[in-house]
Amino acid sequence: MSLRRLWAVAVKEYNHIMRDPITLGLVILAPTVLLIVMAFAVTVNIQHVPIAVLDYDRSPTSRAFIQRMTAGDDLDLYAQVDEFEEVDSMLLRGKIKAAIVINPRFAEELLAMRSMPLLVIIDGTEPQSGALALDHIASRTEEFLSQKLAQNLEALGAPSDSLQMLDLRVRTWFNPGLKSKNDVVPGLISLVLGLPAMSVALTLAREREHGTLEQLIATPVGRSELILGKMLPYILVGLVNVVLIPTVAILVFRIPFHGNYLLFFLLSAIFLFAILGMGTIIGVFIRTQAAALALSFLVIFFPAFFLTGIFFPIAALPEVMRMESLVLPGTHFAIITRGIFLPGVGLDVLWPYAIMLFGLGVAFSAIAALFFRKKLG
Amino acid sequence: MFRRIWALAVKEFYHLRYDWWMPAFMLFGGALELILVGWATSRPMTNLPLMVLDEDQSPASRQVITSLENTGTFTLEALVFDETPIREAMVQGSIYAAVIIPPDFSEKMASANQVPILAVLLNGAESTPATAALRAVEGLAREMGQEIAVKRLGIDADEFAGFDFSVRTWYNESFSEAYYTTPAELALMLEFTVLLFAALAFSRERELGTLEQLLVMPLTSFEIIIGKSIPVVLVGFFDFSLMLSMVHFVFKVPIRGSLPLLLLLALGYLFVELAKGMAISVFSRSQHQAFLLVMILGFVDFMFTGYAAPVESMPKFLQGVAQFIPAQHWLAILRGIMLKGANLQVLWPNLLALLILGLVIGAVSLRYVRRALS
Repeated sequence: MSLRRLWAVAVKEYNHIMRDPITLGLVILAPTVLLIVMAFAVTVNIQHVPIAVLDYDRSPTSRAFIQRMTAGDDLDLYAQVDEFEEVDSMLLRGKIKAAIVINPRFAEELLAMRSMPLLVIIDGTEPQSGALALDHIASRTEEFLSQKLAQNLEALGAPSDSLQMLDLRVRTWFNPGLKSKNDVVPGLISLVLGLPAMSVALTLAREREHGTLEQLIATPVGRSELILGKMLPYILVGLVNVVLIPTVAILVFRIPFHGNYLLFFLLSAIFLFAILGMGTIIGVFIRTQAAALALSFLVIFFPAFFLTGIFFPIAALPEVMRMESLVLPGTHFAIITRGIFLPGVGLDVLWPYAIMLFGLGVAFSAIAALFFRKKLG
Repeated sequence: MFRRIWALAVKEFYHLRYDWWMPAFMLFGGALELILVGWATSRPMTNLPLMVLDEDQSPASRQVITSLENTGTFTLEALVFDETPIREAMVQGSIYAAVIIPPDFSEKMASANQVPILAVLLNGAESTPATAALRAVEGLAREMGQEIAVKRLGIDADEFAGFDFSVRTWYNESFSEAYYTTPAELALMLEFTVLLFAALAFSRERELGTLEQLLVMPLTSFEIIIGKSIPVVLVGFFDFSLMLSMVHFVFKVPIRGSLPLLLLLALGYLFVELAKGMAISVFSRSQHQAFLLVMILGFVDFMFTGYAAPVESMPKFLQGVAQFIPAQHWLAILRGIMLKGANLQVLWPNLLALLILGLVIGAVSLRYVRRALS
């Protein structure tokens, strides 16, 4: 391998990228847009869930209950209705996500402390707002009920503190409040930084589609030089994103960053090397860009979404999938990004993942180079 | 005219024969994605590794440990004797939660009015399994708490129904995630595949320099557009039918409304995305550029569909923007027909919005593409 020839290929590819500033802009912009969109989706606080109330009791107790339900920003009272049919039609039209039906003898039965004279209806097509509404209704009912119970007990002369049951104390490390955005957004970084790999697959396929690959082969450039030279400019472009994307995550989405930025940059570069290696394999196997695109979705994008532990924890995957997740660079890099962002750990904890990434990068490039010769030799 | 359009469409299909990856991806990529989504979201969170620090070492505390294991959520990773191994395991990310039972636990359990304490430590760096762990521990704590209350208040346990109220989940009685995710994925996959396929139509010819050849042929720009659209529409529609049957037969999601209406509206929606894709296609100078534009526009659409985050929780301004996203109305229609059995009387606002958006987008796109081609 000669560094001079490697450099020549990299410069050629660099010139090619620079000649088309729109595409370059999009290559840089796409991961950021993707991060913003998906991070926004996990950051949205589900609030203002519209509900309807059907109060058959119409007592002061039931009115107080409704008041408590709709206080605050979580549940919005869309309508108070008189007929069950109205609930039906509102759910069907998607105007409300949940409805509370209060039994005719709500106040009486509540006083008797026997059961909960209440029916909650959830729109099962929208589990996010539905489950949230259910959670809120449950916890507020519990509050309301224990208050009522305490009043009852005191009226009977019993100490109301005997109602205190079990005190569950929750401590959350690394991420106070257990906000999902704080670990999903760093995980997403490993997904969006994989996009340049799809670009590499496309550019390699382009050379073949245009028939310019033969020209390159005819030059004294070796295959590993060609492959590394093709990857190098995209590693550079990717590194621009390595600066840009955490900045967006930290400034726009307020994700805490506790680790060492330099380490993050370094390990990101290794990750880019590994994931671009995957893109290169695709580019080597495939003859047209459309095909390269399709295959990159199947091999790079979808698995990165489902098998790298960003949204679905690796521990919950079945054995076969867990093995597969080990050969995906995103799996190791997602552990690294979360580790550096949240607990702020260093190489002493992360070294196995770093070595794994580097190993994958070497293996992928080697496979690419090997098949490159076979395909064209 | 029809003969010429036909010839062009045949040429496009001829292309596909030599470049079968793209249509194969369109046909089966969506199906594969559906399997992954349906499967990943249908699995309950089980066997999460858990560490327990039992400082009480009593029958009561051992009972807690057994109950924790019986929730099915946890596998007991280790019983530890101080907090150090817990901290180490958390930093390494090998456990998501730990439970600490303090020394006076059994004493307080047995007393008449003291409150027993349980502590749970969560690994916030993995919030999804940590939240599942918290839910399981909370459920257990609620159960234990009710037992204590019932015992202390001297209520007959059989008579006490607890704080549970009855819940009914409409349109999705078992509250299955697949009901929610697979139709949404189906709707979005249709958008992405059609957009991508259409976006490559002209950008490819332009990049390879064959667009000029196409333009000097005795075809009007209108004929070229139709000829280019036919394969996209056919493959896209076939793709949709395939995915729909998968959602229905594999994931057992019902189609409660009218199937012909659903197919008809899917076809209509397909044309809206086709128009967008064609506009991207003539705008882009290379396939690479077309692909990146599709990714960016597609994901921005995705944000407003209400699939990832409910639209009504978004800021007012974004709620307004969402009204102009065809995919949002399409998703509402698809879910309405499949899950709620809705008919036109219910769906007309979405349908009207989709129709207007489709006509505007179609007209603008057609004008733009025709001008670019001539």
